[in-house]
Amino acid sequence: MTLTSNSQSNDDQETILHRVLWGEKQLLVSEHEPLLPQLERAGVFVEYQCREGYCSSCSLKLIRGHVIYPTEPLAWVQSGYLLACCAIVKSDIEIAFFNN
Amino acid sequence: MSYSTFNRKRFDSMKEPMFFGENVNVARYDQQKHPIFEKLIEKQLSFFWRPEEVDLSSDRKDFQRLEEHEQHIFLSNLKYQTLLDSVQGRSPNVALLPIVSLPELETWIETWAFSETIHSRSYTHIIRNIVNDPTVVFDDITVNEEITRRADSVSKYYDRLIEMVNLYNTLGVGTHTISGRGDIVISMKELKKALYLTIASVNVLEAIRFYVSFACSFAFAERTLMEGNAKIIKLIARDEALHLTGTQHMLNIMANGRDDPEMAIIANECKDDVIHIFKEAAEQEKDWSRYLFKDGSMIGLNAQILSQYVDYITNMRMQAIGLEPCFETKSNPIPWINSWLVSDNVQVAPQEAEISSYLVGQINNDLGESDFDDFDL
Ligand code: FES
Ligand SMILES: [Fe+2]
Ligand SMILES: [Fe+2]
Repeated sequence: MTLTSNSQSNDDQETILHRVLWGEKQLLVSEHEPLLPQLERAGVFVEYQCREGYCSSCSLKLIRGHVIYPTEPLAWVQSGYLLACCAIVKSDIEIAFFNN
Repeated sequence: MSYSTFNRKRFDSMKEPMFFGENVNVARYDQQKHPIFEKLIEKQLSFFWRPEEVDLSSDRKDFQRLEEHEQHIFLSNLKYQTLLDSVQGRSPNVALLPIVSLPELETWIETWAFSETIHSRSYTHIIRNIVNDPTVVFDDITVNEEITRRADSVSKYYDRLIEMVNLYNTLGVGTHTISGRGDIVISMKELKKALYLTIASVNVLEAIRFYVSFACSFAFAERTLMEGNAKIIKLIARDEALHLTGTQHMLNIMANGRDDPEMAIIANECKDDVIHIFKEAAEQEKDWSRYLFKDGSMIGLNAQILSQYVDYITNMRMQAIGLEPCFETKSNPIPWINSWLVSDNVQVAPQEAEISSYLVGQINNDLGESDFDDFDL
């Protein structure tokens, strides 16, 4: 289920939220920024280097769901993977970390 | 067959493969078969930096205060980095320019190699600033057995490709008897195979070997030592991240066969060889870390932790080119390295986003699969 809620700081704009599922855990994320900082704020360690889409360090397995890239990343994105530093989550997604 | 600096044939360069097609004639970038290489060029140019901009005056004092075994770690690591960039500053040009067939890729190779020469010049800048006699450091690179052994493994694939391309350009395909070397078979397939393995070994050099050395450089900076050096290594690491993306693209483009169908067959046949290249390099890096720390470790880093990092980063890089990870280690034993690797111009400590809901950022641990129904597959 994708949720919408009124944002606190901007009342006339709705925040669309999606679930990010990994293993038994889930996190709600918005479309306002890439996945990486949202995971980090929740205390999840994600590998990174450039944070700009050119090094592929932040590559995560995308098991299902849909993400988009506002600008096409320079790094090669393997099919079935996403780049957390620049991917905007567009639906509920299921991901897997490198370490599981 | 033999290389021409301005190929007079008329052909559609958009239909050429990355390598072993026509020699490039007009350096034009208005049309590109693989636009990614043009993007890498632009990114690399935007990264331009000069080593002399980094002040190393406090590094000299720091270095003198290091314990002897720490000086050994620091200098050996620097020698190894010097070796790697000596190879990388010339080899992409010497090995790949004679066989490249796309203008944007040709220029990427030149731009890539040029940035390596900046890395090499920065090692001179560092060494000059921390020791009285740089010659002692530089000379050791060609005589120290631990280093020369490494030189063999990083240069052998390049050297073999260069030799084969030379024979191909002078004698063509066939079996050639070369005095002192015996029979060498030159066929297009063998040439392409040598190329594929070379690109894999360059990926290993830049994406694994270099990162192991970065870990050592940053381990000093974690203790607020040798911080000028760390600043330079940070700039080098930013370039290397781009370079490794370049070789990952080449390997993936080769493997998918759309550029050159024969290359996909070769990539498939070479899979075990490539896995071997990754594993072998990882073992060599672990031997190297034992040598670095032979007289003692330092706070935050020792041979065991560095070896775990070797395993971890090897797994990561294998996965990036579609191979199964081959080591057990599943988490980064030195997660602090990321805040050193990241470029200064991007925001690291993420701020609370302006618009966010109270629901965002809460991890929910017990969740049933049934809650999860909104997939657009
Ligand atoms: S951190 Fe470099 S591609 Fe995401
Ligand atoms: Fe380099
Ligand atoms: Fe490089």
